[in-house]
Amino acid sequence: MEAADSMKIAVILIVLLPLVGFITTLLFGKRMGGKAHIVPVALVTVTAALAVYAFGWVFQHQEEPFVWDAFSWIVAGRYHASWGFQVDTLTGIMLLVVGIIGMLTHYYSIGYMRGDGGYYRFFAYLNLFMFAMYMLILADNFLLLFLGWEGVGLCSYLLIGFWFDRKSASQAGKKAFLVNRVGDFGFTLGMFLVLVTTGTLQFAGVFDKAETIGAGTLLWICLLLFTGAVGKSAQFPLHVWLPDAMEGPTPVSALIHAATMVNAGVYMVARAYPLFAQSETAMLVVMVVGTFTAIFAACIAITQNDIKKVIAYSTISSLGFMFMALGAGAWVAGIFYLFVHGFFKGLLFLCSGSVIHAMGGEQDMRKMGGLRTRIPVTFWTMLIAAVALVGIFPLSGFWAKDEILGGAFAHGYYVVWLVGIVTAFLTAVFAFRMMFMTFWGESRADAEVQAHIHESPKVMTVPLVLLAIPAAAVGAVVGWPPEAGWIHRFLDPVFFAVEHEEFEWLGTGGALMAVSLAVALLGVYLAYVLYLRRRELPERLAARVPWAYEASLRKMYMDDIYEVVPVRSTIAFSRFLWTGFDVHVIDGAVNGIARLWGWFGDRLRPLQTGRVHNYAFGILAGALALVVIVGWVWGI
Amino acid sequence: MSPLDWWLLLAMLLFCIGAFGVLARRNTIVVIMSLELMLNAVNIALVAIAQFRAGSQGAGVLFSLFVITLAAAEVTVGLGIVIANYRAKRTVENDHFDEMKG
Amino acid sequence: MPGGDFHPFFFVVIAAWILVCGLGVVLFRNIIYSAVSMVFCFLGVAFAYALLNAELVAIVQILIYVGATSVVILFAIMLTEVQQSYGQLFHRQAIFAAPLAVAAAVVMTVMVVSTELVDVGDTSLNLSVHALSSLLFNRYVFPFELVSLVLLAAMIGAIVLARRQGEKR
Repeated sequence: MEAADSMKIAVILIVLLPLVGFITTLLFGKRMGGKAHIVPVALVTVTAALAVYAFGWVFQHQEEPFVWDAFSWIVAGRYHASWGFQVDTLTGIMLLVVGIIGMLTHYYSIGYMRGDGGYYRFFAYLNLFMFAMYMLILADNFLLLFLGWEGVGLCSYLLIGFWFDRKSASQAGKKAFLVNRVGDFGFTLGMFLVLVTTGTLQFAGVFDKAETIGAGTLLWICLLLFTGAVGKSAQFPLHVWLPDAMEGPTPVSALIHAATMVNAGVYMVARAYPLFAQSETAMLVVMVVGTFTAIFAACIAITQNDIKKVIAYSTISSLGFMFMALGAGAWVAGIFYLFVHGFFKGLLFLCSGSVIHAMGGEQDMRKMGGLRTRIPVTFWTMLIAAVALVGIFPLSGFWAKDEILGGAFAHGYYVVWLVGIVTAFLTAVFAFRMMFMTFWGESRADAEVQAHIHESPKVMTVPLVLLAIPAAAVGAVVGWPPEAGWIHRFLDPVFFAVEHEEFEWLGTGGALMAVSLAVALLGVYLAYVLYLRRRELPERLAARVPWAYEASLRKMYMDDIYEVVPVRSTIAFSRFLWTGFDVHVIDGAVNGIARLWGWFGDRLRPLQTGRVHNYAFGILAGALALVVIVGWVWGI
Repeated sequence: MSPLDWWLLLAMLLFCIGAFGVLARRNTIVVIMSLELMLNAVNIALVAIAQFRAGSQGAGVLFSLFVITLAAAEVTVGLGIVIANYRAKRTVENDHFDEMKG
Repeated sequence: MPGGDFHPFFFVVIAAWILVCGLGVVLFRNIIYSAVSMVFCFLGVAFAYALLNAELVAIVQILIYVGATSVVILFAIMLTEVQQSYGQLFHRQAIFAAPLAVAAAVVMTVMVVSTELVDVGDTSLNLSVHALSSLLFNRYVFPFELVSLVLLAAMIGAIVLARRQGEKR
């Protein structure tokens, strides 16, 4: 298909502009000092406009995706990798999320990072991240996707450890990197298997052959690819890096660890829909992992006291929801949730950043309270985000979450539906626990901090307000009416085999919707009782079931398990390799060989007398011997 | 036995006398003189072959001239070394020089 | 004969002269005797060249060896102020060196005798000095220039070596 030239230019620019921004900022940013944001922010704004343009193009050409094999990258034998771009409706959705949230986060960062020593470095990394993220979603083959995939991983590492002089930050960066290696290893193996099986990594080529792949191979491909998704999207048991990633600056948490990068796993699974849809077992695994992660993370979130940790576990839970949806066969609902989640979770993070900013860097919710009147813009936007997250009619989260639960129910996964409802309930509790502890009641901060509480500057609050609009409305706009909204038709070309359920307001659908809404409201009410009306209750509750409280507070002991099982055992094994194997066997062999030659040399040393006539004798005797031997051989 | 053979035998004997001198004498100056004997022996062989054999077109004669020239250079440098050594150790007997012993 | 007429008489006389003088170089205890013996040996070799009809080489032999090299060696003897070798004349290695030299002589004799070298062309190879020099400066001009470089290097090397330590301008 001949793609429109304007589209080619747009796609190239979308990828290149952030890269240009990265390079120029890295080279010249230091000299620009406090003005270092100008170039990257301007470029990202242009890029966002181009992303919206690309989305508009897809909007007009829904049935024919834009596929453009730009130029060759690696040609080796029969294998041919190219820089190929693909823009279909799924990519279009991702472009909107990445473009808009990325741009707003950049603006927000101008205020948030002002005065930081690494100001220019921050914007350079952010632009590099945007480049990699666009690469990831625009790629038309697994290899290029993997390039973006690793690129965003690198930026995540750099930005988590942005304040590298804090030991905890650099440790968290390393942790994120290492944990992601586990997942990426699986992803790489999956790609190899795809290449070996189908002979190509091109999405279209692979998916064309999806039906011809044997069931066993297909299952392995899906599971290995999903391993990568588990790492990147922080699913159990590889979720441990995401809470620690909150060591990074808050805009990073919002952009990378809530709205875009962590969605890459979901996006990749959705992109590989033709593969996953063929393998019921793989779908089941995806669903089980997602469901378990959803409730698991929600259980932890409920006792965390760090405001960003709460949102981080909420993100893990939400990502679990998305995988639950994909695994249950509610593909559209999963992407729908991804779409709206990007807005309200990014907003939630940015608001928490604004709160932290107001509190002078304090992140512990036990030292907050009563901020409602002190920072009203932050409060109202955060309230919108929280309500959207909890899923209360008519905000965004309601439509998407309900569709996931409805999808699970409709496909007969009643247990999954039940777990989802419980998770929704827990989500409501912890989200409003956070809201009540932060904004209501009396302030528990020190007098000195109290005096300095202030609303964030315009450059921060305006992005909040701008983000609050889609966070509130986008769900209803694209998802109305349920199961037959605009997004369902829009994603049809990608999820070509998905059939939409008939939604009955006065049937199962309506009933389920009512149940989930009721559960959410119940959760909010419980939070209201526990954390506003009778604040002594939580402590008594915790004292009643100390093991449960302790387990939740200690993150289900996951970090401790990791500490013992892989980390300690690896260290012990390495120590053995060092003191046992390396010192004795390797060094012993090396030194032994050296000593052997030393001994040999000692025996040979007397030959070198240092006297020239001995050498001359050797020369002449040798020459004569040569003559005799040659004469003998030639028979003279 | 042709005349050339006789010349070659002469050269060969002179070469062996020189070689014995190089290997056996302790005095470095005599060693250098013995070396000159060996070079002369080779020159005799070269000239003899050049004069008796066709096709060499003067190469043997010219080669012997080069050898003579290089031998002169060699003697100069060799004796320079001998004198430098003598200055250091007050002797020219080459078994006193074993600093390079391994 | 191209190599000049072979006169057995002259050949025997000159060969005996050369070999006796050569043995003198190796065997004399007094180094001055050795040196004088060497000069005579060189002279004998010059006559040998003359007998071979190679006048140019004979003249060069006398000029360089008898004239220059001998003088340099005598200078070295005087500078080292060791007229006489005291103590052992030979190394202990001599008991191996003598058989080696004899063995070399035997091997080479066998080779000379067993090889048919008498293949004399019809051309008179008695090249004139004029022919030789035109050959030297045309065909062999590159080795000629190289030799000049070697001489230069040797000259510099000899000066560096012979200069007294610490004698710096």
